[in-house]
Amino acid sequence: CTKNFEAINTDPNKTTGNLINPNYFLSQSQITFSQTGYDQLLFQSEWMQSLASTFSYYYNGDKYVFGGAGSGYFSYPWNRTYSALTLIVEMQALIKDKPEYTNLNACATILRVMEVQRLTDLYGDVPYSEAGLAKSGNFTPKYDAQQAIYADMLAQLDAATAALDASKVGPTADLFYKGDVSKWKRLGYSMMLKLGMRLVKVDPATAKTYAEKAFAGGTMSSIADDAKVMADPANATSSNSDVMRTPDDFREVRWGKTLIDYMKSKNDPRIPAIAEIAIGNGLAANQNQTAGDNTASLQQGMPNGYTISSIANAPGYPGATPAASATDAPAPLGKYSRPRFQVYADRGSANYIYTYGESELLLAEAASRGWNTGVAATHFANALTADMKTLAGYNATPIATVSDAAIATYVAANPLNPATALQQINLEYWVTTSATFNYNETFANWRRSGFPVLTPVVFPGQYITGQVPRRMPYPTSQLQQNGANYNAAVQRQGADNFATRVWWDK
Amino acid sequence: TVNVDKLVNFAVIKGKVVDENGAPLPGVSISVKGTSGGTVTDASGNFTLNAPDNATLVFSFIGYQSQEVAVGGRTTISVKMNPSAKGLNEVVVTALGISKDQKKLGYAVSTVNGDALNKAKETNVALSLQGRVAGLSVGSSNGGPGSSARVLLRGLTSFTAGSPLYVINGVPMDNTQRGASGEWGGADYGDGISNINPDDIESMTVLKGQSASALYGSRAVNGVILITTKSGKKNSAFGVEFNTNIQFDKPVDNTDFQQVYGQGILNAAGVAAKPTSLNEARNSGSLAWGTKMDGSMVPQIDGKDHPYSPVSNYIDFYRTAPSFTNTAVFSGGGKESTFRLSLSDLRANSMVPNSYLDRKTFNFNGSQQVTSKLNVNVVANYVLENSKNRSGLSDGPGNPNNVQFLAPNQDQATLAPGVTPDGKELTFTDDSYVTNPYFAANYFQKNTQRSRLISALSAKYDFTNWLYLQGRVGYDVSNDKRIDIEPTGTGYRGDNGTMRQANAQITEFNTDILLNAKHSLVKDLLNVDFTAGGNIRKSNADGTFIEGQGGFIIPYFYSLTNFGSRNSGPSTDLITNKQVNSAYYSADFSIKDYLVLSTTGRYDYYSTIAKSVGPGIFSPSVSGSFIFSELHKMDGVDLGKVRLSFAQTSNDAAAYSNSVYYNLNNAINGVPTAGFSSQLPNLFLKPFTLKEVEAGLEMKFWGDRLGFDLTLFSRKTNNEIINGNLDWSTGYTNRYIGTGSTQNKGIEFEIHGTPVRSTSGFSWTPSFNFTYVKNKILQTDGVTNDNINFGRFRPSAANGLAITALVAGLPGPQILAADYKRDASGNIVFDSNGLPQTGNLIPMGSTIPKIYGGLNNTFNYKQFNLGFLVDYRFGNKVLSATEQASIFRGLNKLTLNGRETGVVGVGVTESGTPNTVSVPAQTYYQALARNVYTVDVLDGSFIKLRQITFGYTFNAAFLRGTPFSSIGVSAVGRNLWTIMKHTKNIDPESGFSNDVRYAGIEGGSLPFARTYGLNVNFKFKN
Repeated sequence: CTKNFEAINTDPNKTTGNLINPNYFLSQSQITFSQTGYDQLLFQSEWMQSLASTFSYYYNGDKYVFGGAGSGYFSYPWNRTYSALTLIVEMQALIKDKPEYTNLNACATILRVMEVQRLTDLYGDVPYSEAGLAKSGNFTPKYDAQQAIYADMLAQLDAATAALDASKVGPTADLFYKGDVSKWKRLGYSMMLKLGMRLVKVDPATAKTYAEKAFAGGTMSSIADDAKVMADPANATSSNSDVMRTPDDFREVRWGKTLIDYMKSKNDPRIPAIAEIAIGNGLAANQNQTAGDNTASLQQGMPNGYTISSIANAPGYPGATPAASATDAPAPLGKYSRPRFQVYADRGSANYIYTYGESELLLAEAASRGWNTGVAATHFANALTADMKTLAGYNATPIATVSDAAIATYVAANPLNPATALQQINLEYWVTTSATFNYNETFANWRRSGFPVLTPVVFPGQYITGQVPRRMPYPTSQLQQNGANYNAAVQRQGADNFATRVWWDK
Repeated sequence: TVNVDKLVNFAVIKGKVVDENGAPLPGVSISVKGTSGGTVTDASGNFTLNAPDNATLVFSFIGYQSQEVAVGGRTTISVKMNPSAKGLNEVVVTALGISKDQKKLGYAVSTVNGDALNKAKETNVALSLQGRVAGLSVGSSNGGPGSSARVLLRGLTSFTAGSPLYVINGVPMDNTQRGASGEWGGADYGDGISNINPDDIESMTVLKGQSASALYGSRAVNGVILITTKSGKKNSAFGVEFNTNIQFDKPVDNTDFQQVYGQGILNAAGVAAKPTSLNEARNSGSLAWGTKMDGSMVPQIDGKDHPYSPVSNYIDFYRTAPSFTNTAVFSGGGKESTFRLSLSDLRANSMVPNSYLDRKTFNFNGSQQVTSKLNVNVVANYVLENSKNRSGLSDGPGNPNNVQFLAPNQDQATLAPGVTPDGKELTFTDDSYVTNPYFAANYFQKNTQRSRLISALSAKYDFTNWLYLQGRVGYDVSNDKRIDIEPTGTGYRGDNGTMRQANAQITEFNTDILLNAKHSLVKDLLNVDFTAGGNIRKSNADGTFIEGQGGFIIPYFYSLTNFGSRNSGPSTDLITNKQVNSAYYSADFSIKDYLVLSTTGRYDYYSTIAKSVGPGIFSPSVSGSFIFSELHKMDGVDLGKVRLSFAQTSNDAAAYSNSVYYNLNNAINGVPTAGFSSQLPNLFLKPFTLKEVEAGLEMKFWGDRLGFDLTLFSRKTNNEIINGNLDWSTGYTNRYIGTGSTQNKGIEFEIHGTPVRSTSGFSWTPSFNFTYVKNKILQTDGVTNDNINFGRFRPSAANGLAITALVAGLPGPQILAADYKRDASGNIVFDSNGLPQTGNLIPMGSTIPKIYGGLNNTFNYKQFNLGFLVDYRFGNKVLSATEQASIFRGLNKLTLNGRETGVVGVGVTESGTPNTVSVPAQTYYQALARNVYTVDVLDGSFIKLRQITFGYTFNAAFLRGTPFSSIGVSAVGRNLWTIMKHTKNIDPESGFSNDVRYAGIEGGSLPFARTYGLNVNFKFKN
């Protein structure tokens, strides 16, 4: 009577390698990787002065002071990205030596590069060659040097883009491109471009080689190539909108003064698409999750580094909105611009990872540096147009739209000037990645390019003073869980803090 | 009419009662059988009594065998009483329901009678065991009626120590924990033992050691508690009994917060200020960093101005909660059959408004002697339980117990009714996750419904007077429904609220067979008692859930139909299916009456262990007892026994833990997704083993007027399965490894007696128990001996500065808390702003007491009885979130220092010079609360008056002319007096979870309750 023990000890709701469709791990890895939310909103968005907040857990990014779970947040991007990565490791093991999965394998490699790049850009040296191998007994993966990681990732992209074959079946569960292999190929080359361009400070020769190789291979060609995942409103898969729907965040997260001032100075037609001010007076109105007033001229960004009390002392403080009734209270932040509710709190909005516009900006920069990647001004104009049109893809029903006429006017008014090309290109990179809530990328590109030029926030009790952070410290658990390798990495890279620069940021 | 009394002849009967040595015996009670008349012998052992000349007199006295003597027309009767040597021939139920002679047992067992549990009631009967049994400690979650119990036998047995196995009438019952609170909040959804009606319990027998429980093999590790429910008695008339009980739980404010400074925070100028507007009242939350309270009028959250004066009335949010239990019992028995049927209704209100537990229990026990050799027994216990609004605990949204942290001038009544005129939550701080307590209590819902049948059918066939065969089938099935609603208007929700419903069925099916033979191998020298048997156990848990997505479409309409979309599926974390096939034997060899050697063995075949690892696990035990008082009779010594035993058991293996599985996740816009557990499977896992050696000395003197039982034990686990942490960079977050080892050594001591027994019928029967357990975690993961993190409290949840953990070399669970940053000489180091900084995580002690026990006293005087229980606990620590929050919020008296002048921390700067920076009190103490957690670790020792019962029984004489044969009235009380404690702001027993990982972590649960009540028992005349 122990015959059926195996059947009894089989989980009825799980299946095995024989039955599972490995494609489904690709889609899971995509959705996991794309949901950033607090991973980037608590630190990076405010370091970049794109957003500002007076609320407790936003002290981390807004004031360089720990708030909420403080150092506990270091692990958010780490854990998310590795949890996306392990799916690819498992899937690639399942499809090993199976020719019918050639394209899936190549797509998975490209996705894996995207994931690893986010990790290493944020933390520097990270487990890479030995990552995700617990199943084969490696519980303490070594940290690879960022230089080696980049070299390997570029080699992987070379191989993967070459292996993609549009005549064969594509991935069947693909949240980026519905299995369109040619789009994956263009994404692969655009990734090669992005990796190459990260190295402009530390290794311009390699940067040039790969930027040119990518351009020759064929990068993204329209906003239809944007790498993004549309969240499923039925499954709460947009963590950015989850944050913006949270009353405390919605009430107190505002667009940053640095960003809005810059966009206003450029008469940027995207302002009414992304920003609004609460309609009505008092706290109740400020918390009311409905559309606000998005008139461009009314928009005003909030400066970083203030508390709910001290904001009244901020230069240009527009004043609180008065209480609407006897039981209401004034709203100190009520007159600052917030991310538009209908755009950013839409549960079906896009999780942007990498857009055609960003790719074009990188080509424009490469060309401006005199590399053989086409005409800089054309790429720049393409990028401006694409960045504005991309916003319409933020929601299933476009809400954040910019009219073709406004786009044309703006493009015409902002031709690329060779003397200021790098500044123009990278300020636009800052604006577009801010508008798409892609702050991991904003932070990386700022360190690479030096634009925008930011004035660090001053506040008592900061974890870093006199400069804007340049790195995220490792999760605090590393010392305990992978101590020897952690120490080796710190030895090589420098102190595990917010100031140490990653290899390509030297 | 005929006066019946006139038909019998009454006579004055005189006599004398002597003991076995012929000495007069005072205080013997003499009753006339069948009536309530009676008397007591005087100091010379003499008595005088008026009784019918055909009556039968019953002589009874503690420590002596009762005697019945027919008057038979005599007027002088002398009686010699023989010591009952109580316990000497006492039969106890042991593992598998086998009755054995207690005097021959080679291990310790303790029995608690139902009487001790059912006068002053707990809704979870396991909580009533507190203080009554050496070796047993009990904790609860302070979650209101029907909350779970944490029962630990002999310390932290293993890393996964938990409740013992409960076996009811010989059949193991399910005790699955239905959901507990963690640091992020949640409610206690109850366990299995909480369903049992105390009124139905005849006795509970605690098998503490592994030798006692080894026959349960894989489930014996945490010990076993055998529950025997009441049954009818043969040859008894039809009896009707009605018991009614009313108790009140009165909330007690254990806080001793400061009453000087009121609500407020530092203003923009950095000066402590009271709120001057509604907005400031809201932004300062419940922070008491304002100015000295001066009675001026300040705005409060209700939009009105209130005096800036202390009110500190948070406790008024709670109510004095009545509970009612009514039980009717019908019983009887003939020559061949017995039955007992009880119907019981419990309505237990929680101290949190709008929350209650309603439980109806139907218990039937019937037996029939089918032939002279075949006996059949049926037990069925049907429970219908309905629990409304189980309280949120710990941190977290929807927890009404946030009310405990109001600034001293904040009137809790200003938070009522919890909603604004437009139906939204009236938030009272700028953190919307701090739910208004009235809103949490009146609008949130955490409801459970359970219907459960615990049944057993057994048949016993006696082949001869020394050989029987018994077959038994036990079935325990629970159907649970749980509904959680976050209502429309909830402050932290950006939508109209949501709801979730989960349904679950948990079953446990046991079939066992037992053959027993008792035979004398060598007449008058060697006797053998041999049992062999087998068991098949099937346990299964299944469930599904549905939850709404995107918020209710129509506000305030709480239905699963009211959503645009729903998420649903199997409750995968609950679902298990396993089977264990077992074979076992037990053999007792006794040489004459003084030497007994016993051995048991059980072989378990698990469905949960891979075949490649081996077919199963053997759990052997061997025990011996030497009853030296039988070999050498000693004066006054009724029993003298030494015993020694050894056993090895294992634990139960988890289902599905040894292979790689993939699961489908929700599709994203129609695109399928799949993943797998972040728990790395281990194909080679085997349940861990526990070895234990136990030695004991048991003695009884003078007819059990004094007795003690001393037990020493030493136990150690090997190859404990650890859910070791991995970093995500390995691809997984956890893995199972079998390298843990835990050691417990201890002493258990019980002493009881009857020191006073007076001629007037007064007697005093005290008993005292004492337990000392020394726990040590010998090894964790075997390589680096990393700590295994257990629980943590919310204030530092994410960065782990105050946690409980298993630390190799120290008793577990050990509290690790961040100390001040200190220099090499131990001085506190302050930063350049004069604030204390975070230093090393240091071990602060175990959350499990090292010493515990109880003192129980029973006094009897004629128809009066008085019982009280004092229990105590020493050597455990508490990680107090209340302490942390009260420092952070300026409520703790500690924060009074430096309010006016600023705080200059005593210590040094980074460069070693004395710190001279003066910091505003709020800034200083909030930094202290955020950075330093050793200050939140408290001594959890206490001595408490746990229970008092004071009763009077009206006898038949008094009740002549009524339908009652007796009425017993008891005034009862529980938790009336904390005789000693060291915590200033909490009850030392506070906690929010019964899970051992959260033992000793407190905060945000219901306040301590004193319970008062009245129990009335009516026995109807036949």
